[in-house]
Amino acid sequence: MINAAEAQASLEETLKDEILRMYQEVAENPDAEFHFFHGREAAELFDYGSEELDAAPRGAVDSFAGVGNPHLRADIQPGETVVDLGSGAGLDAILASRRVGPEGVVIGIDLNPAMCDKAQAHVTESGVQMECRAGRMEDIPVDDESVDVVISNGVLNLSFRKRRVVEEIYRVLKPGGRLSITDIVSGKQLSQSIVNDPKLWAS
Amino acid sequence: MFRLLEESGFQKVRSAVVPGFRFRKDSTQDSAEAYGVKAVMMTARKPGGKQA
Repeated sequence: MINAAEAQASLEETLKDEILRMYQEVAENPDAEFHFFHGREAAELFDYGSEELDAAPRGAVDSFAGVGNPHLRADIQPGETVVDLGSGAGLDAILASRRVGPEGVVIGIDLNPAMCDKAQAHVTESGVQMECRAGRMEDIPVDDESVDVVISNGVLNLSFRKRRVVEEIYRVLKPGGRLSITDIVSGKQLSQSIVNDPKLWAS
Repeated sequence: MFRLLEESGFQKVRSAVVPGFRFRKDSTQDSAEAYGVKAVMMTARKPGGKQA
């Protein structure tokens, strides 16, 4: 007889696999059609500047799968340390790296080690610096109180344990540190069938 | 999420709807609207440190 905690853990693992599969598909098949806008079309929809998109690696732009633009209110400054939670193919991390400059630090966190490799390749192509660490947002592989800004774009909604994610963000931020995230929210309670369907969570 | 940020100790929690967000497929967008699904931008600040 499986208990509630085991059921939750099992569903979480299934969701993780579905997330990895879906975002891998976006990265590998950027010309495919998905439920959501992606790539340059999405970035322009969310007010990313044309010049900064032109200057970014084509692969990073084509694989963009965010739901908004966290840079609009992040106010990232030169020399700051920034964490991009759910860094994907690296577009937001690359833009953050340009803003923090050579004295700053950008750390990308992604569930998928292969996506980290891809982001790292895009970063190298851009000539900026960023370190991508594979890991969960529920257990951010970053030291306590070491970060000035946490950004995230369309990722927190993918977690079953949002409270834990928020606590982790709080932990890694320095006193006075800032958070700028864009995410999907629901105005109504989702039906249990939706909650239990990893495909719907991941999309 | 807004409440979670406040309960976790964040200050100056602000949110705004992302105006351009929509799903690509009309059927998905219709379902999303039925559940009040939207994209929001949220900012917050951890207490302490230098005041802006």
